[in-house]
Amino acid sequence: MSRPEPALERLARVRRPLGVGVALLVALWAWLVIQAPIDRVQGVIQKILYVHPPLAYGAYLGFVLTAIGGALYLWRHREIYDQLAVAGAEVGVIFCTLMMVTGPIWAKGTWGHWWSWDARLTLTLLLWFVYLAYLLLRSFTEGSERTARFAAVYGIAGTALIPLNYFVIELAGGRSVHPENLQRGSLGAGMGWPFAVANFAAFAAFVWFVVLRWEVEMRRAGAPGGTGE
Amino acid sequence: MSYLIAAYAITLGTLGVYAWLLIRERRRLAERHDR
Repeated sequence: MSRPEPALERLARVRRPLGVGVALLVALWAWLVIQAPIDRVQGVIQKILYVHPPLAYGAYLGFVLTAIGGALYLWRHREIYDQLAVAGAEVGVIFCTLMMVTGPIWAKGTWGHWWSWDARLTLTLLLWFVYLAYLLLRSFTEGSERTARFAAVYGIAGTALIPLNYFVIELAGGRSVHPENLQRGSLGAGMGWPFAVANFAAFAAFVWFVVLRWEVEMRRAGAPGGTGE
Repeated sequence: MSYLIAAYAITLGTLGVYAWLLIRERRRLAERHDR
């Protein structure tokens, strides 16, 4: 019987073509952002649309991946799933941080102030703190199985904030300063394609970062031959 | 315009530095493993 293909080799095989794809998508995204029409109400600053929501979706994905990795770890007891959870949390926190930087820049340009203690913004800050705490917990208590189990439960529980964060504007019943979630037809003419490509590029970049970070985590753990067992 | 440039520069710059750090770390660990 043949030996199962080592996880590291599988990751490396995906990572290389994915990296080329990400580079091409980012180039297409940059060109489409430049070509995209300028909003009549907000002006050129509205083009932050092509970076801010895609970063938010990437952050959500990262945190969901942390929960999936954690759940798989609790179920299968394989270290590679715990390593996937760490990778998802780190990439998620990076995307979330950038979302929380681009958001206030957009707010300053349109609302005139950097921050508002609005329900969406406050919950996003809480979400960021929850997963930042996850990473701190992992960095302070390295390697124990007990930590991995606790982190898995913590990572799963943290995802409860995601639907709340997404739907809080509707739940706030019009009292939120943050614009409503985008829906079909809510973008101006000519903005649909750049927005779709921006999301696709951000998703591809997210996957590439997770694959790379997962590989680093496996190598740090000294996976024997990269089997991830 | 300056706000827009700042938003894109911070995002692309941060992701670029993060990618560089990850690639460097992966190479370092791979070299250590090969030795």
